[in-house]
Amino acid sequence: MIAPGQASGFRLDGVSVRFGTTAALSDVNLHIEAGEAVALVGPSGAGKSTLLRLLNGTVRPTSGRVYVDGDALASLSRAGLKRTRAAIGFVHQDLSLVPNLRVVQNVMAGRLGRQGFLSSARSMLLPRQAEARRAYELLERVGIPEKLYARTDTLSGGQQQRVAVARALYQQPVALLADEPVSSVDPARARDTVELLTRISREEGLTLVMSIHNLELARECFPRLVGLRAGRLVFDESAGEVGEDEFHALYDLQEAEMLADGA
Amino acid sequence: MSVAAHDVEARIAALKRERPRSRFLRFSLGCFLLLMVASWVRGDFDFADTFSAQRGENLERFMMTVRPKPLRERTDEGWVAKPWDWDVAADWAGERLTTGVSRAETEGGVEAAIGTLAIAILAVVLAALGSLVFCWFAARNVATPQPFAPSASPPGPLRRWAWRGVVGSTRVVLILLRSMPEYILAYLIMSMLGSPAWPAVLALAIHNTGILGRLNAETIENVQRRPLVALRALGAGRAKIAAVGIWPAIMPRFLLYFFYRWETCVREATVLGILHLASLGWLIDEAKARGFKYDEMVFFILLGVVLVLVGDVVSAVCRRLVRRAS
Amino acid sequence: MGPDRAPRRPFPLRTRGAVLLVLLGAAVWAFLYLDMSFAQLVPNEGGLEIAQGFFSSAVAPSSEVLGTAVRSLEATVIYAAAAMSVSLLLGLLLGFLASTAWWSGDPVGGRTLFGRTVAPVLYGVTRFVIGFMRSVHEVLWAMLFLAAFGITPISAVIAIAIPYGGTLAKIFSEMIDESDRGPARALRAAGASGLQVYFFGLVPRALPDMLAYAFYRFECALRSSAVLGFFGVATIGRDIELAFLTNRYGEVWTYIYVLMAVIVVFDVWSGHLRKRFVA
Repeated sequence: MIAPGQASGFRLDGVSVRFGTTAALSDVNLHIEAGEAVALVGPSGAGKSTLLRLLNGTVRPTSGRVYVDGDALASLSRAGLKRTRAAIGFVHQDLSLVPNLRVVQNVMAGRLGRQGFLSSARSMLLPRQAEARRAYELLERVGIPEKLYARTDTLSGGQQQRVAVARALYQQPVALLADEPVSSVDPARARDTVELLTRISREEGLTLVMSIHNLELARECFPRLVGLRAGRLVFDESAGEVGEDEFHALYDLQEAEMLADGA
Repeated sequence: MSVAAHDVEARIAALKRERPRSRFLRFSLGCFLLLMVASWVRGDFDFADTFSAQRGENLERFMMTVRPKPLRERTDEGWVAKPWDWDVAADWAGERLTTGVSRAETEGGVEAAIGTLAIAILAVVLAALGSLVFCWFAARNVATPQPFAPSASPPGPLRRWAWRGVVGSTRVVLILLRSMPEYILAYLIMSMLGSPAWPAVLALAIHNTGILGRLNAETIENVQRRPLVALRALGAGRAKIAAVGIWPAIMPRFLLYFFYRWETCVREATVLGILHLASLGWLIDEAKARGFKYDEMVFFILLGVVLVLVGDVVSAVCRRLVRRAS
Repeated sequence: MGPDRAPRRPFPLRTRGAVLLVLLGAAVWAFLYLDMSFAQLVPNEGGLEIAQGFFSSAVAPSSEVLGTAVRSLEATVIYAAAAMSVSLLLGLLLGFLASTAWWSGDPVGGRTLFGRTVAPVLYGVTRFVIGFMRSVHEVLWAMLFLAAFGITPISAVIAIAIPYGGTLAKIFSEMIDESDRGPARALRAAGASGLQVYFFGLVPRALPDMLAYAFYRFECALRSSAVLGFFGVATIGRDIELAFLTNRYGEVWTYIYVLMAVIVVFDVWSGHLRKRFVA
C-alpha cells in the first residue's frame, strides 16, 4: 500500500497502449526500484509521455499490467486510484498552472487530492500560517521564495516550471514524474531545473522518472537511462554503459525511416 | 517559536503586505457590490405587498384565464376549467397562428413571427453596413498619420492631433449610438414616421451600429501587423490596405459578431411590436388591449420563445460554420 | 506531401462572397416582405411638426426638471442594481448546474455514479430552464407579472433578473467549460476531484471574463430598467414618455441626456476593465 514518506517503485509487465489504430507503446517491461532516478530518452513520439502517464494512472494500458508499489493500478478502486495519484507528483511540459492565480495558490493546489472539498476551499482562499510557511519553504528550495504572492503569469517560463515543482512537492509525494520539464526553457535554465529535480529527489529519497530530450543532460544527471523508440524499449542501462552507438541508433534510425517515408 | 521560524513568518507577512494588487479592479468591484447592496436599502421594495394574499388571488385568477378560452367557462364564481382536450386546444392555437386580429394588420401569429425575423435581418444588415463605415475611423492602427509605416519622418504634432481627434470623435459617436435603449429610440422615431416597419428597423440598426462599430474597430486593431506593413512598403494607401489586407482578415470575426447581434435583434424585435410596429409584440399587446385576453397574450409570448430559440439555433449553427471555415 | 493532402484554404474567397450575397439578399427579401419603401422615411405633416419641435429642442434641454431627472435616474440605477444582484446569484448557481466540466469525469476513472445518472439529467433540465428564461424578453416578463399580480417594484426587479440570470448562466457556463484545460488535467493527475478541478482549475481562469461580462450586463440592465418605465415602473422611461406625450420636448432631452450620460460612464468603465483584465 502506498504511504507518504516512503518511496514507491513501479513495474510495467508487458504493457501496450494503443490510441485508436496507432500503437503508442508495445510490450514494454520495466522495473523501477523505490528511490531510483531514471531518465526516459528517445525522439519525440517514442512513447515517453505515455509511459509516464501510465505510471500515475492517467492513461490505461490496452494490455499488460502496471504496478505502483506492488499494487496493480487496474485493480484499484476509484478512491484507491485517487490516493495513488495524490501520492505521485507530476511536473508537466507546460500549461499546468492557473496563470491568473497567485503562486501560493498554485502551490496549495498540490494538496487538493488529499483534502475534502471544503477544507481545500479554505486553504485555497485563506491559507493557514503553517500552510503558507510550507509553501514558502518549498519555494525557497526551488529558489524563488520572493514570488510567494506574485501572480503566476508574471513569472518567466523557468520560474513557472519551478512553481510546478513546488506544487508537486507540496503533495508530499512518494515519487516524482516529470514530462520534458525543460523543453520550453533555455539550455542554461534547463540544466538548473534538471539538477534541482534530481537533487531534491535524492535528498527526499523520492523515486524520480523524467522524460528528457537532451541526451547530454540525461547522461550527466541520471544513473540509469531507458531508451524508447517507436513505442519499444530499445535499451535500459546505467549511464556509463550507454555507448554513443546506442544513442545514434535511437535517432539515426528514425532519420533513415523518415527518408524512406519521404521517398 | 525559534528565531529562524519567526523570521520566516515575518518575511511571509511582508511579502503578503507588498503583494501586487490592482487598485482599479478592487475599486470597481467595491463600487459594484456597494451599488447592489445599496439598491436593496434605498429602493422602495415592499415584500409584504408583493407576497400578499390579494396578489396571490390575482395570480390564481390569472392562471385560470391563461387556459385557452374554449377550455374554460364562466360561472357565478368566475372562470372554471373544462377538462383538457388536445384537439380543441390545437384548433384554438391554429386559429391564432393563421387568422388575423382586428387591428394588428397581420394574418396571425405565423405572419407576425416572420415579420419579426424580417425586421431583425434588415436591421442587423443595415447596422453591419453602418458599422463598416465607422469602424475604420475608430481603429487606432488605421486612423493615424502614418498607418503601418516605420516612422522614418515623424509626422507633425498637428496631424497627430487631428487623427487623434478623428478616433476620439468616432468613438464618441459610436457610444452615443449604442447608449440609447432600442425601445425608446423606436418610440421616438415612431411618432415621426407613420410606417409600421421603419421605426423598429431604424431603432435596432442605430443601436447595433454603435455596438458592431466598436467590436469591429477592436478586431481591426488586433489584426496581425506584419502583412500590413509589407503592403504599406509596396506603396499601398489606407484604402487599399483596408480592402486587401484588413478586410479579409477581419471578415470571419465580423460574421461571428453579425450573427451574435442578429440573435439579440430577434429578441428585441419581438418586443418592439408593442409600439404597434410590424412584429409579434403587436399581437401580444393587442391581446391585452382587447379586453385582457391573457390566453392569447401568453400564447403569443410562447410563440416568441419559439422564435427566439429558432434564432439562437440558426445563429449558433452559422457561427460554428464560420469558426470551422476560418 | 501529395497535392490532395494540401490544407484547404481557410474560408475561401468565393465562399465569403457567397455568404455576403446571401445576407444582402435576405435583407432585400425582408425589405420587400415588410412592404417598406424609402418614401415612408419622409414624415407626414404631423410627424414633421413633431420632428421639428423635437430636434430643435435638442440644444435647449429644460433645466427645470433636472431634479426630477436625477431622482428618476437614481430609481433606474436602483432597479438595475437590484436586478443585477438577483441575476448574478441565479447566473452563478444555474451556470454551475449548466456546465459539464465538474461531472463529465476523468479520462481513466470515468464518471462517478452521480456523473452517470443524476448530473446529465440535471444538466439537461437546467439548460432548458435557462433557455426559457432567456427567450422571454424582460418587457414581456414585466407584462406577465403585471397581468398576474400587478406591477410592484419587486416584480419589476424580478422581470429583469429572470432573463438576465438565464443569459449570465449560459455565458458563465460556456466561459468556464471552454477555459484552458491544461491546469485542470494537471490537478486531475494529482488526485483532485471533479468539483475541486472545476472550482480551482477552471473557474479562476474564467473569472476575469466573467467579471467583465457581468459589468457589461449591468450596463444593459440600466437600459432595460429605463425601458420598463414605459410599463408602469417608476424609472426614467416613464418621464420620457410623459414629457413626450405632452410635447415638452426640452424635458425629454433633459431625461435623454441624463440617461445617456450614466450609460456612457458605465460603458467606458467596463471597456477599461475588459482591456486591463481580459488579455
